[in-house]
Amino acid sequence: MATTSRADPRPLSPHLQIWRFHITMAASITHRITGTALYFGSFLITAWIVALATNAEWYSVIESVISAWYGQVILFLWAVAVLYHFANGIRHLLWDGPHIGFDPKTASTVSVFIYLFAVFGAAAIFAATTLL
Amino acid sequence: MVQLTLPKGSAPKKGKTWPKPQGATNLRQFRIYRYSPEEGGNPRWDTYWVDMDRAGTMILDVLFYIKNNVDPTLAFRRSCREGVCGSCAMNIAGQNTIACTKGFDELPGGVITIAPLPSQPVVKDLIPDLTSFYAQHAYVQPYLKTVTPDPEKEWKQSEEDREELNGLYECILCASCTTSCPSYWWNGDKYLGPAALLQAYRWLIDSRDEATGERLDDLEDPFKLYRCHTIMNCAQVCPKGLNPAKAIAKIKHMMVERVS
Repeated sequence: MATTSRADPRPLSPHLQIWRFHITMAASITHRITGTALYFGSFLITAWIVALATNAEWYSVIESVISAWYGQVILFLWAVAVLYHFANGIRHLLWDGPHIGFDPKTASTVSVFIYLFAVFGAAAIFAATTLL
Repeated sequence: MVQLTLPKGSAPKKGKTWPKPQGATNLRQFRIYRYSPEEGGNPRWDTYWVDMDRAGTMILDVLFYIKNNVDPTLAFRRSCREGVCGSCAMNIAGQNTIACTKGFDELPGGVITIAPLPSQPVVKDLIPDLTSFYAQHAYVQPYLKTVTPDPEKEWKQSEEDREELNGLYECILCASCTTSCPSYWWNGDKYLGPAALLQAYRWLIDSRDEATGERLDDLEDPFKLYRCHTIMNCAQVCPKGLNPAKAIAKIKHMMVERVS
């Protein structure tokens, strides 16, 4: 075959642009997003602990941020991320160890439960802290 | 690399709307990916109206209806029309499957989009270039490899050992799974993809095969096997109901077991 340089190369067929998400695909990218969020969240919690240990002024600044509405939103999302990543992490262990949960229908159902667990679990934690 | 958008020149533009068939009562709208190498330029989305009462029962029938009655220039691959050959794999309503076994009753509501298998170079219309998919299949050497001399008759296998191959050997190489995998979209040049790995596992656990170690060596790098993140699209879309994700997890397990 003669080697020709194509002036008009073949187009790449659409992928994300047309894909209709399965919930397992959404669960996978959510795992990645919550993992990244937890990485950056660990800087915040470190700042909070360092301030608590060293400097009362810094601590009061961080306290005021946490008690503000946006601080509360961040804390809630953080709780969702922790619970989601934790539950989905266990699922990864079940996949990779005993190979449980690979049936597509099972995997879809479990994904729904993990989302519900993360959101309602975080809500329960918030409810508990306001009651105490 | 992750490339969320299509490269320049690949984004489909709005195309032609073909006339509605006369006197039809059960019309359905289809949006079909069109690209012609002769015309060049960007691909486009053409709109077709199909008389579902006259079209048949499967999506492949819709494509034939369009080709015979509306637009003879529409190009697509097909052969057996009964789910055996894997030629007519494409993206239907946002998910990969083979057109010949996708029934009208399985379709979601609204306009149905039909596109070639995702993230592949397009030859024409619904026909992707699957050269690298086949090269990856060849890479896993999907045939029996032995060192002991050939037996006088056949290589024998117990019924239990033969059962291990169920759910693996049925693959028809339609490429629905491999081109459904986001990991393959981003690293299709280095990651082997679900179909090739399912075949790799099919030979790894075959009791007659004697090249297990070498086969595992061939998969041992950061990309070929380990780019699977259990996204599960492969198992969700497989038109034969196979589970490449599970086979891949078992290969990963074999990797761990041989070093421990």
